[in-house]
Amino acid sequence: MQPVRLGRGFWTVTAILAILAVGAIVFWYEFPLEKYLPEAIVTARQVDTLFRFMAATGSALYIFVGGYLLYFSIAFRAKATDPPDAIGVQIHDNHKLEFWWTVIPALFVVLLSIVSVRIWYEIMLEPENGVVVEAIGHQFYFSFRYPQINGEVTDEMHLPRGVPVTLNLTSADVIHGFWVPAMRLKNDTVPGLVTTIRFTPRLDGRYRIICTQFCGVLHSEMDKQALVIEEKPAFDKWYKGWQQRNAHTSNALPAAGGQAVALQGGSAPAGQQMFAQKCSACHKIAPFDEKVVGPGLKGVLHDPAHPNLVNGQPATPENVAAILQNGYTGSMGTMPNATANGLSAQDIANLVAFLDSLK
Amino acid sequence: MAVAAVSAGGIADHIHPEPQGFVRRYVFSLDHKIIGIQYLITAFVFFMLAGLLAEAIRTQLLNPNGGFVAADTYNEIYSIHGSTMVWLVIIPMLTGGFGNLVFPLQIGARDVAFPWLNMLSFWIFPVSGLMLFSSFLMGAPTAGWMEYPPVSLQGAAGTSMWAAAIFLVGVSSTMTGLNFLVTILKMRAPGMTFTRMPLFVWGQFATAPLLMIATTALAAALAALFINRVFGVPFFDPTKGGSPVMWQHMFWFYSHPAVYIMILPAFGIISEVLPTFARKPIFGYKLIAFSSMAIALTGFMVWAHHMFTSGLAPFLQLPFMIITFVIGVPTGIKIFSWTATLWGGKIHYNTAMLFAIGFVGLFTIGGITGIFLAAIPYDLHVHGTYFIVAHLHYVLVGGSLMGVFAGMYYWFPKMSGRVLNETLGKLHFWLFFIGFNLTFLPMHWLGIEGMPREVATYDPQFAFLNQFASYASYLMTFAILIFFVNVIWSIRNGKRSGPNPWGARTLEWQIPSPPNYYNFKHVPTVYGLPYDFSQPLPYKGLDEELTDAPPVAAGAH
Repeated sequence: MQPVRLGRGFWTVTAILAILAVGAIVFWYEFPLEKYLPEAIVTARQVDTLFRFMAATGSALYIFVGGYLLYFSIAFRAKATDPPDAIGVQIHDNHKLEFWWTVIPALFVVLLSIVSVRIWYEIMLEPENGVVVEAIGHQFYFSFRYPQINGEVTDEMHLPRGVPVTLNLTSADVIHGFWVPAMRLKNDTVPGLVTTIRFTPRLDGRYRIICTQFCGVLHSEMDKQALVIEEKPAFDKWYKGWQQRNAHTSNALPAAGGQAVALQGGSAPAGQQMFAQKCSACHKIAPFDEKVVGPGLKGVLHDPAHPNLVNGQPATPENVAAILQNGYTGSMGTMPNATANGLSAQDIANLVAFLDSLK
Repeated sequence: MAVAAVSAGGIADHIHPEPQGFVRRYVFSLDHKIIGIQYLITAFVFFMLAGLLAEAIRTQLLNPNGGFVAADTYNEIYSIHGSTMVWLVIIPMLTGGFGNLVFPLQIGARDVAFPWLNMLSFWIFPVSGLMLFSSFLMGAPTAGWMEYPPVSLQGAAGTSMWAAAIFLVGVSSTMTGLNFLVTILKMRAPGMTFTRMPLFVWGQFATAPLLMIATTALAAALAALFINRVFGVPFFDPTKGGSPVMWQHMFWFYSHPAVYIMILPAFGIISEVLPTFARKPIFGYKLIAFSSMAIALTGFMVWAHHMFTSGLAPFLQLPFMIITFVIGVPTGIKIFSWTATLWGGKIHYNTAMLFAIGFVGLFTIGGITGIFLAAIPYDLHVHGTYFIVAHLHYVLVGGSLMGVFAGMYYWFPKMSGRVLNETLGKLHFWLFFIGFNLTFLPMHWLGIEGMPREVATYDPQFAFLNQFASYASYLMTFAILIFFVNVIWSIRNGKRSGPNPWGARTLEWQIPSPPNYYNFKHVPTVYGLPYDFSQPLPYKGLDEELTDAPPVAAGAH
């Protein structure tokens, strides 16, 4: 067996690669990512930090692997002067080397896991008590619902800077992806499921909202809406504007056919059956305080102690229907919407008739 | 023919005569070598079609407003492109194609364990391919190769055809996996212990259980999707109590292992080509073999890393992230071992070797960006964007497809008895390598900057890089045309190869090219690893093999 020795060429190349690797690390830590894509929320900076860490270490690793690959390919090519049956150094393995190139990547995996979990934790630990906004995916736009605005906001999503936000996501039809690149954050809007992301806006601006799950023929067009982050006064002005604009809008979403839910012709006995099937897992026919998941519903429309519903709206059949249609998220948890619960417009009318019959 | 009775391994030389009719010989053949070639030819036909679809995609994206085809047609095109490349090109080429063709020869077997099953596996494959393409006639699926419901429940009738076609090709995969697993376990030549098996055989051995186990999960998902669409049983329909996320679990429980089905055999090809042309043993044989098995096993535990945005419970996501990072370790071991194999070699630059080295260089990029995607916080940014498109093409084109090309240049003499033209081959490699990088490298940045995938039109700010990628992709297609010209020209006019044009040491090169009908008149006995160039070949009982004498029927002596 020929002697195994690393020559001067190897160490020269190693030195060059080390310099290149340091250069790559410096490059990724200096690269002005935020110039190309603003960091609109607090955790966007952490995500960019993670990116810089992975890009720097990944580039350094690649410079060594690619560099040695290229160097070995050139340095050890068979030369015209070699006899045709010349063979290379017949080494099969080197346990020390293999040990280290198993252990060092394994240690790196531990380090990367720690860094990733920490940053993941910061994203998950964003405060829970912020402004609650709901984004609903539709074919082919997002609509937004705010606590004191009737109906839906359909053009842009506005948020005040510096105030924590709880964004509940769901969908009226198929799965969409709610992505704001400037937030470095996305989540799918899944029909029948409410998912939540939390964040704190930190930079004023107008940022694109893009759908990232294929959702139908006009999916490509679903990148035209914007998230606007602005000062609190400007946000309040926008908010009041929508409150007035939607003052007379019903909270009921249009049903599948496009009409608002008609409550006439609801059948209380049918509603009672439906209640047993769909509602009784979370609600009792009992006074308000007897909670299961949600409140007791006996007398929900006729309880002088609770003239308003949990969403602050007056206890009218229309407003109950709106909650059945749209679902509701509050301190007790989340009630799925009609799509998720599998309620037709007639089912809702029946349920309201049933609830109205309970005195 | 008294010699025929002397078998070093003590295996009875019971040889059936070769069938003479054209149909039994070349169409409904039971011979693993013919079946392997049938797989390759069929898969290359689908490869051409999928390549045309890819160029339609890039042509559409030349312009931010599209305009080449309507959005609906565009959605059909990329859905069929993805489905074809995964199920009709890369998987069949690497398992049914090179698997059938090469590994039985490498373990000294006369055929696979179940030749009839093998024939059936093959014939299901073109039928399901035709079914998949026929979906264009009734409105092809539009929701990508993943076909997430509920949007796939809204898709045209072709979506059901898609589900049926992929189900069938999955049946074929499952049978192939079973067949290969039994063959490797039971039909190795005497002395061919596990630690003497060539690394390509190890690649197939790690892949076969994935084919068997993971594909069944996909079959269940596809059956449920088909039943949901056609008979209205609402497995995935949330308005009737179904769960659309369940599809994602079942789909990725298959499709993540499928990534390893598409890469482990390619790892095997690279591990054969590198030592042969470096005239050196593969570095760290045992660790490479072991890491294939480790990747196959852990590959089953990471499926939900495709679903970090799908609304999983947050704490359930963490183990998927960390196990995915862990897969980086065995993958790294392989990359380091291949690089170390070149050190101290006497490297001969055949086109196969260029593709093998190119494979290591490009697959490593795909591996590193895979780590980016596994990190949940960063995945929440780049999931569903062009970053993913770039990553998966670095793995599946820079990895798997480069492996396929390396295999084609390496084993073409074994199939045809002729060598592929080297001038055309080198032109093919360089144009493909350059075109590929120029096409897909810019896509990482497109994704980071905010371009979603699966879009027929896009924001004008991304126009320059898209046009750049599109023009570069034409270069890639041109390179592939050179490859097809090369194959067609070389079948008739290529230099005659003889049994072993590369001086390779694995068993398949010690018999004629193309091999006789039953491969080995004598099953040889194996005495060691194939990769030591300073030692004599570790096989005994092969001496009679290099004659062209017809096989001897049992009882003739």
